Amino acid sequence: MPEPRAAPHHSIDVSIEGVSKSYQTAGGTVQALAPIALKIARGSFVAVIGPSGCGKSTLLRIIAGLETPDQGVVLVRNQEPETFRAGGELGIVFQDPALLPWRSVRRNIALPLQVLGQSIRAHEQRIGDLIELVGLAGYAKALPGQLSGGMRQRVAIARSLVTEPSILLLDEPFGSLDQILRRSMNLELQRIWMARQTTALMVTHSIDEAAFLADQVMVMHSSPGRIADIVDVHFPRPRAHDLFAMPEFHAVCDRLAAALDSGDR
Amino acid sequence: MQQSLRTLLGVAAFLLGWELLGRWSPWGYDVISTPTRIAAQFWNDADLYALHVAATARTATLGFLIGIAFAIAAALSFCRFPSLETVFRGVNVALFAMPPIVIGPVLVLVFNGDWPQIVLAALVVYFPTMAAMLVGLRDIDPRLVDVVHLYGGAELALMRFVRLRSSLPSLLAGLRVAASLAVLGAILGEFGSGVRWGLGTFLLGSLGESNPARLWGIGLASAALAMVGYGLFDWIGARVGRATTAVTLAAARLPDQIAWRDRDIGRRVLLLIAAAVLPFILWEVLLKVTHLNPIIAPGPLQTLAYLFVGPDAGSERQIMLQALGETLPVAGLGLVSGLAAAFALASLTVLRPGLVRAMLPAALLLQSTPLIALVPIVLLIFGRGVVASTFMAVLVVFFPAFVLLAQGFALVPRPARELVEVYGGGAAKQLILISVPFASRYLYAAAKLVAPRALLGVMVAEWLLSGVGLGNLLNVSRGTLDYGMIWAGALISILISIAAYQSVGIIERLVQWVGTD
Repeated sequence: MPEPRAAPHHSIDVSIEGVSKSYQTAGGTVQALAPIALKIARGSFVAVIGPSGCGKSTLLRIIAGLETPDQGVVLVRNQEPETFRAGGELGIVFQDPALLPWRSVRRNIALPLQVLGQSIRAHEQRIGDLIELVGLAGYAKALPGQLSGGMRQRVAIARSLVTEPSILLLDEPFGSLDQILRRSMNLELQRIWMARQTTALMVTHSIDEAAFLADQVMVMHSSPGRIADIVDVHFPRPRAHDLFAMPEFHAVCDRLAAALDSGDR
Repeated sequence: MQQSLRTLLGVAAFLLGWELLGRWSPWGYDVISTPTRIAAQFWNDADLYALHVAATARTATLGFLIGIAFAIAAALSFCRFPSLETVFRGVNVALFAMPPIVIGPVLVLVFNGDWPQIVLAALVVYFPTMAAMLVGLRDIDPRLVDVVHLYGGAELALMRFVRLRSSLPSLLAGLRVAASLAVLGAILGEFGSGVRWGLGTFLLGSLGESNPARLWGIGLASAALAMVGYGLFDWIGARVGRATTAVTLAAARLPDQIAWRDRDIGRRVLLLIAAAVLPFILWEVLLKVTHLNPIIAPGPLQTLAYLFVGPDAGSERQIMLQALGETLPVAGLGLVSGLAAAFALASLTVLRPGLVRAMLPAALLLQSTPLIALVPIVLLIFGRGVVASTFMAVLVVFFPAFVLLAQGFALVPRPARELVEVYGGGAAKQLILISVPFASRYLYAAAKLVAPRALLGVMVAEWLLSGVGLGNLLNVSRGTLDYGMIWAGALISILISIAAYQSVGIIERLVQWVGTD
């Protein structure tokens, strides 16, 4: 049973202090992230938005423990990312669904359990529920090649939830989908997130996706990658499709666009 | 249904045309024979075929199984420990470039019974299988690596859940090629070992008879045996491939993409020195383990001594140089003309895409036909002279080069060609500006692939037909038990093959270097 939603700002799920990262390239050193600080409250939905190369994906990968920062401290629920994720407490969705093409939908969703060395049979019920939750009932035995792009991305979302993670990382999850499909997937993601009460961090290129989904939007600027602004979004939930047409929504979008633009000057 | 009917009619028309030409043209019987004569001869020889085919099939299968076992183990180790691949680079390149025909006589000195053929089949099977599987193991979706790492999975979990199954289509494509190569290896082994039964023995014994129908029959039987193996893995591959290729990118895999780089230059130099020395160490170790008489089986140093410091070194060197003088120009000519023909024909893709697409299945099939099957045809049409050797080299170069280049031309990005079209450029402009530059890297890849083959083709023709050059020298040395020459000839041929292979890479780099602004 999901716990009652903790009050935001009271318990911190992700805490980042003075984290920086640079890469060596043929043209010299590139500062992907200037030393940045950031706190994400339990149960909140945070979006990170910024131009290409602002280090937003690097930030997400550092939180996932897929990359190590040059300096600084990353704590996820007061643990190192590598320690935290070992129990399957972290879920991740990429822009590319990255499914195993030879596995059925059901067996793709089961992959994290297998890597963690847990029994699949004990979780058959949970896998079945997740397939329903992402709207793929009847497709359990289908292969990824038989599904559309949007359906594949839903499989990837179900896979990220199979370990019942407390933190969900989304790296431009709908970046390869068209605008129409993207909006309906945004609604679905909100429904799934509200049903699971996880903390979500989503990296995106899309201003209206960030404004629609997030409680808080971090605007990043590039060279070096840094957080330029944090915008709170207070629309009540569940947010419905008609929010996209409301003037208040457009005001938030304009505010975000202005924050993004200020980096060019 | 209609498709298969048309194919059937096409085959029937082809056979009828052949039959008529064979019966009524002036050079008919001696050169092209006729399908009915070949079939009748085959029927008469049925008992002989049963024994010869069974012997070759047995040694080829055993060699195939041993070779792929080593290849799979090697691919797994190279994937897990990339430095190991660098250390084994010398061995791998040698196994890729060696003309198998020169190894046969050497293996006869080291192994007994059917083992020379089995080992030769295993040796030729190793490289294509290993390379294909290694590409498959390495070429995985980087996001899947992240997914497995995210749940705490290390390299072992990645291997288990992702790499092994990912490599399967690529491995099966490699096995398809390897299966037909195993037949070639077994037959070439028979030339050296002089066993009683086998298609190679059958061919050797029939070359002197004036019985074109039997020669055709042996050629077709070897091709058929190779095709059985090819077809089996093609069938399995098609079944496995369907489920996996739908969402994975089928990128062009070139044989030279298995490169490995190390940032630490000192370490890299050390590993490369190890790579160059390892083949010779393995050679020594093999001899130590088998306890062979060093006169019959000399080590690397004794072999060099035979050519440079021995009592007859001067005259042996003279013989070797003369043989090389006869072989190398022919191989070079065959290589260049085969490549040029393949490039010209494949570039037709741009002008006449349908034509090239129609030729591709036949070329794919002929590419996997053991070159031994071509010997009777070459003998009957071109006789036993230098023309026959050259044509043999052209044939073995042309088909694999054509297949690779046609694939290269087919992969030219359409928008790039359409860009030329938008500005009013015709097919010729598209070809010169876009397709040829794009396909040039396939040309280099093809040259690397076929340079060793050109030498092999010429040597096979020399051994069996023309009686000159390096191929003949090895055959004669085998007869006169000139052990030193057998080993020296094998060593020199392998070194030349490796040099040809490496120099393509150097030329490619030079052209790139000159070409960049």
